[in-house]
Amino acid sequence: MSSYHLNRFLFDLKMDDEALRRAAGDLDRALGRYELTAEEKQAIKQGDPRRLRQLGAHGMLALYILRLNPEFERNIYWSQK
Amino acid sequence: MPFAAAVAASHAPNILLEPGAEWDEFMMLHYRMAPQAGSTKPSLEAQQKLRRDAEKAYAALRADLEAARPDVLIVVANDQFVNFAHNNIPTFFVTLADEVKGQFTRHRFHYRNHKELGIAILRAGIDAGIDFSFGEYIELQHTQTVPLHFLLPEPKIPILPIYVNTWVDPIPTPRRCYRVGELIRQVADGWKERVAILATGGLSHFPGSPRIGEIDTTFDHKLLEILREGKGRSLADYSVEEICKSGDSEFLNWMVAIGTVGDARAKETFYMPDDVATGWGFVSWKI
Repeated sequence: MSSYHLNRFLFDLKMDDEALRRAAGDLDRALGRYELTAEEKQAIKQGDPRRLRQLGAHGMLALYILRLNPEFERNIYWSQK
Repeated sequence: MPFAAAVAASHAPNILLEPGAEWDEFMMLHYRMAPQAGSTKPSLEAQQKLRRDAEKAYAALRADLEAARPDVLIVVANDQFVNFAHNNIPTFFVTLADEVKGQFTRHRFHYRNHKELGIAILRAGIDAGIDFSFGEYIELQHTQTVPLHFLLPEPKIPILPIYVNTWVDPIPTPRRCYRVGELIRQVADGWKERVAILATGGLSHFPGSPRIGEIDTTFDHKLLEILREGKGRSLADYSVEEICKSGDSEFLNWMVAIGTVGDARAKETFYMPDDVATGWGFVSWKI
């Protein structure tokens, strides 16, 4: 099964500041813009990049779920691409 | 004009991060993906030594590049989900922008893009059966800016970014990348200006994978030895599986540069595993 929408959501967290703001503000509503399975949505909410990778996310996109984790909110990682 | 120069260099972000707080903060992300990778974290002193050693390697490559007096620098790198997403992943892509920009932490980059040379490579590729993708906008990222910070810090000459898909399966074969390099050399040899090439990436690393932290130094040393022996052409015989199992998929970028030099001997090679993610490798060829 294609993981396109899961990867697209993560790509948007990386590259689209507005998408990041929407996801940080109201994750359920933000996820409504993507065709995600219940399992994918649950994994996104859990915020574990390893689980997202198991579901088909590219490993280097899976890391971007951590942009929604307050612990990493200001990490230097986000200031480079 | 004669082909000017060929070099290859790692683009690992931690090369350009300040040893200490910046490096450690950055790596925290990777440790969340693979907690065991943090167990080999280098000390501050070790990070500082790695940075000094990388600067020496880049300085040697930069000296060779400047001595060759190129008029344009082709930069072969892989996109890491900045310009291309899963709706469209080009295997090979030529940049036809007028200018290209990017940012890496506090460092900003802005170069003229050599669109005319890009069109010539595209046209030669179509004639030879290599159909590149192309586009008029790209954003530079660490795969280009980390080496450019050290090798072309002032935008004295235009660059030409060419992308190879080394990250999203299915990726091209080493032989196909070598062939693309041969094509670029053919165009460069007939070009009105002096063309140099920089390939970036590698060496062994497993980004975004549970294996992050593993570095196949044996395989990396073997690759560099083959280049020193002047047997680069033989590397086209490797399968995708062979290079991927050692975490060297970005070596496909290097294969393009190797295609431009064939069996020319590497003049200098440098290698330093960072003990936490990547085997940093650097090479300059005798043309």
